[in-house]
Amino acid sequence: MSKLILKFKEAVLKEMPLEQDEMSIGRKPENDIPIDNQAVSGRHARIFKEGDGVFIEDLGSLNGTFLNGQKVSKAELYNGDVILIGIHTLEFIGEKTRETDKKAFAVRGRSMDETMVIDPHDQKKILAAADKDKPEVTGGFLVIEGSTEKREYELKERVTTIGKEDGAGIRLKGFFAPKVAALVNRRKEGYFITPSGGKAMKINGEEVNHRYDLKDGDIVEVANLKMQFYVKD
Amino acid sequence: MKLSVGAQTDAGMVRSNNEDNFFIAPEMGLLVVADGMGGHASGEVASKMAIDVIKDYFDGLSSGQEKLIGTYHEDFSRATNRIASALRLANMAVYEASMSAPQWHGMGTTLACVFVENNRLSIAHVGDSRVYLIRAGEIEQLTDDHSLVYEQVKRDLITKEQAEKSEMKNILTRAIGTSPDVGVDIDEMNISDGDILLLCTDGLTGMVLDDQILSVVTQTRDPHEACDSLIRLANENGGLDNVTVITAYVVKERWFSSLVNFLKRFRR
Repeated sequence: MSKLILKFKEAVLKEMPLEQDEMSIGRKPENDIPIDNQAVSGRHARIFKEGDGVFIEDLGSLNGTFLNGQKVSKAELYNGDVILIGIHTLEFIGEKTRETDKKAFAVRGRSMDETMVIDPHDQKKILAAADKDKPEVTGGFLVIEGSTEKREYELKERVTTIGKEDGAGIRLKGFFAPKVAALVNRRKEGYFITPSGGKAMKINGEEVNHRYDLKDGDIVEVANLKMQFYVKD
Repeated sequence: MKLSVGAQTDAGMVRSNNEDNFFIAPEMGLLVVADGMGGHASGEVASKMAIDVIKDYFDGLSSGQEKLIGTYHEDFSRATNRIASALRLANMAVYEASMSAPQWHGMGTTLACVFVENNRLSIAHVGDSRVYLIRAGEIEQLTDDHSLVYEQVKRDLITKEQAEKSEMKNILTRAIGTSPDVGVDIDEMNISDGDILLLCTDGLTGMVLDDQILSVVTQTRDPHEACDSLIRLANENGGLDNVTVITAYVVKERWFSSLVNFLKRFRR
């Protein structure tokens, strides 16, 4: 008998023999194969028998159903086929093997490791499911103590150096100031600061010697400089 | 700032052809990588064509022609707007070519381009080829991949680790030449003495971790050696894709070397 193996990465979550003529797949618990993940639609796809074959059909899901790396609306399943739904995979074990179809794949030159571009329209459909694109935050430092060129620094660049070096975004003065005291990185998820090669750094009075994720109001002390980190709304 | 640049490309261990291309003009401060795609070897055509357009664009600039294409971003420097224009022009050229011949239909390419002028770095990119900055023992990716998995990571649908293993890793959300218009991402920042810039195609980043890249490029000051080692590493790890690497070591021009350069002009 044919069966389906539900996997997440390498881990096998479930093995299901194909006893019914039809099985539904979706996020909602009433599906025959429920997959609890937000990338999966409530009713995502169905697998059904027709003639001597077994088919998969996408039920208008947001993120699509991929068979062997290709987006499908309806397709016949063959032994060893891999269905991708959200971030879970379903492996199909059946009697029929894909002989003729493999050739069709090759002719069209669409193997799974080939780079493809996706239509912006499809893209929106795929990503709309969880479109909670956060607005980007801008942050900066207010200098409390120390000798710098400005009192306030807005951090717009991906990496800003605090140091004496020419290109440093926050430029330290004084003969003994280090070339690079620390680096501040701006990423989509926020800012972090990393002290450079064993330099001393204090955050809110505590010694920190590794990467630190900056929060609004943090007091940073590095190389004779005391600054407060702020986040702009 | 002076750039000490090395560049290398390799087909990898699996593929028979190399669809990557690159261009370097260290004296101009221009570095570009491209990763082509498409059937019937059209990927090679697309990446080559895109690079040639950028080369021509900068040649045109030095002879006084300046074409600015698309929206001018006031927040960014003229130099940054220029490289964005060059990428848009490349998009138009590849797109028109793909429409003109059936065997080229659907071809496209990624482009990652940097331009260095004094201590300012301008970046423009489309696709999943990357630009990295290595500074003070840390490595930071300066470009956001235009790939489906990156968009999913951004929206917290999947983690970075899942993205690395995703079956949809090769699906791009933007490419040069696949549509009449393309959104070019631009950015700029300060660079300083001792910084290292690295441009690469996904054949490197798919095979070699960021931390490994960091340790290889900081172990030497020879840009060619760094490129060779990175390509060797990508191939040792499987070499599943074409791989291209450009490394640029940023060196502050000392007064005496400026003087030597100045005097060289009179020796001709």
